[in-house]
Amino acid sequence: MTAVRVFAAAVRAVAVLFAVSVAVFAATELLPSDAAQVRSGGVPAAEIRERLGLDRPAWQRYGIWLAGLARGDAGSSLVTDRPVARTVAERLPATLTLAGCALAVAVPLTLALAWAAGTASRRRGPVITLVTVLAAVPQAVFAAGLVAVFAGMLAWLPPVSLVPADGSPLERPEILVLPALALAVPSAAFGAGVLGGAVADAVRAPHVTSAAERGVPRVRVAARHVLPYLAAPVVRVLAVMSGGMLAATTVVETLFGYSGLGELLVSAIGVRDVPVVQAVALPAAAVVLAGLFAADVLAALTERRRAA
Amino acid sequence: MTPLPRRPAAALGAGLVLLLPACGGGKGTANPASDGDTLRYVAVGAPAAAINDPHGGIGNQSDLVRFALLYDVLTKPGADGATEYRLASAITPDGSLTRWTVRLREARFTDGRPVRAADVLFSLRRIHTKAAENFGRLQMFDMKGARVVDDRTLELVTTEPYAEVPRALESVTFVVPEGTTAFDRPPAGSGPYRMAGGTPQHAVLERNDRWWGPAPPTRRIEIRAVADPQARARAVVSGQADVAASVAPASARQVGTGVRVVRRSGVVMYPLVMRLDRKPFDDPRVREAVKLATDRRELLDKVFLGYGGIGNDLLTPADPSSPRDVPQRPRDLDRARELLRQAGHGDGLDLTLATTTSYPGMDTTATLVARQLREVGVNVRVTTEPPDTYWTKVFAKRDFYVGFFGGIPFLDVARVSLLADAPTNETAWKRPEWDAAFARALATRDEGGRRTAFGALQRRLRDEGGYVVWGLGDGLDLTSARVADLPTGPGFESNFVERVRLAR
Repeated sequence: MTAVRVFAAAVRAVAVLFAVSVAVFAATELLPSDAAQVRSGGVPAAEIRERLGLDRPAWQRYGIWLAGLARGDAGSSLVTDRPVARTVAERLPATLTLAGCALAVAVPLTLALAWAAGTASRRRGPVITLVTVLAAVPQAVFAAGLVAVFAGMLAWLPPVSLVPADGSPLERPEILVLPALALAVPSAAFGAGVLGGAVADAVRAPHVTSAAERGVPRVRVAARHVLPYLAAPVVRVLAVMSGGMLAATTVVETLFGYSGLGELLVSAIGVRDVPVVQAVALPAAAVVLAGLFAADVLAALTERRRAA
Repeated sequence: MTPLPRRPAAALGAGLVLLLPACGGGKGTANPASDGDTLRYVAVGAPAAAINDPHGGIGNQSDLVRFALLYDVLTKPGADGATEYRLASAITPDGSLTRWTVRLREARFTDGRPVRAADVLFSLRRIHTKAAENFGRLQMFDMKGARVVDDRTLELVTTEPYAEVPRALESVTFVVPEGTTAFDRPPAGSGPYRMAGGTPQHAVLERNDRWWGPAPPTRRIEIRAVADPQARARAVVSGQADVAASVAPASARQVGTGVRVVRRSGVVMYPLVMRLDRKPFDDPRVREAVKLATDRRELLDKVFLGYGGIGNDLLTPADPSSPRDVPQRPRDLDRARELLRQAGHGDGLDLTLATTTSYPGMDTTATLVARQLREVGVNVRVTTEPPDTYWTKVFAKRDFYVGFFGGIPFLDVARVSLLADAPTNETAWKRPEWDAAFARALATRDEGGRRTAFGALQRRLRDEGGYVVWGLGDGLDLTSARVADLPTGPGFESNFVERVRLAR
């Protein structure tokens, strides 16, 4: 039974990923102007359009791109003629590092805030207010605030995050702090806002209350009666949250001059470079879908355990 | 009442504090200073447009600066506006001014091969075929007629008599080895620097010790493309870079001690563009009224924060051929009202002025102009187009908009925007006699006579054309106190940074 559910979830994830690629293509298509126009600098660009194959109907271009992808070829940039895979590979490590650091902060912070919001009845009001306020502040504003305080007033950290040439951002770890916090804190607040309710429901469940009343130690109650029920929602929320965080790298990387995929995506949309947009957007979507898939699997497993 | 422990939250909070240093923190602002002989140059550039091909369109300044270091050009504009010979040692015409002999100096590519006339011709032909991407940069040449004479001599042919060939070769004539077809990695060059690592967005260059010219003073140059002007400025202010190219006037004004502002005069221009072939600007009186009603001083002070000079409607004032004796056009509201009345707009005139936010201050320009024109009874509605679509929907399409020019020589502006068949003749300036005089000037062998003729053409455009050049903003670069000899010439010349020095 579980195997069937897992298989169904996998099929669903692949179908959604396909739908995302169509949506990304269509969205870029709907924007006025195209890469040929960008390359010509405003001069009529029929000749360039023909060379790039942009004179073909949209469905054909999508089909050609998809067929290439099936062969493992992500295509060439419409603006720079460079292979998309190489352009993305140059920037992938920087974004993975930043996202890793941001997640390392965001995941524990989300759980801590969610737990605090879900359990502590006396302090619930202030915690929820804090979570709501942080989640409501736009990432760009939060980042600017961090720069003003930690780079401006206190001068503890650099205001821009220039990655060393041919090197890893970890060679200069101080450049990661502000962008990682700018990504992590608002995302964690959002995640905690969503998860807080699930925690509150779980800890107030009848079997939990009765276990506590029987005198079962608190830690054991938490480990045996609460956490298993929270595993699936936690993974689901974290998956959605990481998606939001990857989306936010567009703003945060641009503000900090951090040469990662987010900065590339903003720039690629600006010049209507569809293959590059796809190559950045799809892996990000895949990360979210993989997380949701994992949550589905977890849910299937925990339900079976509960049923047993 | 909740029966559960509160400690996990506290423990997680503590874990969080421990995790942060793992991701950095600790050392605070300690930026590793550059190692004495590395110049860290932060240039203007959109990451998705960073390229290795120096022959098509070059949208990023970061790419232009890199190409100017990696590849030799035949000639370049000198700081004084005269042509400086680079790879070409001599360029001489025949009697008809259509056949030109180009002599090359002895040079080698970084892979050891000599630079031959065949490499130069291959590169020029490639630039010529990419006309659609580079505004027809070498359109004046008939590339089929060009030929290699010997290893270090080639002959170029122009379609019409063209006395300014050395100047036409001043711009992006980057030379790569003959037969280069792959540009996914940078091809070998023969310039003052060679590629030592990095990517097109962040290149690491090292001095090419076999370059023919005087040895550059700096051993290594790192060029990084950063799109956001504020991030570029902050990179220098925080000591993470030595040079930030093209920052906003507001950033230049804010810098504290230890950071210098380098001004390149007459580089940025946001002229008002009026289309001559449609109402109401087909009437010269309306055009003159707009020119007279514009408050140039206020625009300069508020758009460029005073970094620059007042414009006199001359489109290429930095060009050596620009006329020097033209009296400054004053603001004259009475005369403007009178002209509008004569043109039949005594009861007022409604206009729509389009602008964008592509470059800082273009939107402010429109707002201020709208207010200024209201004083002569012209009611202006301002529309703002996003930068993405400005170049396709507004530029060379609308009747009245805020345009952009960035330090381009007169011959280039004429080819791209003024001649009747120019690809973006945005003001619809179509004057057969002006075009004929332009061709005559180009066929004039005497340089003084040619300059006078070009000057007269620019004056005529100033008086009758559709451009209101209200001011010229300075190009503003920020540098750390250690940097010396950053180029300050207009336009293309400022991208040649091989003479920049770092004080110890």
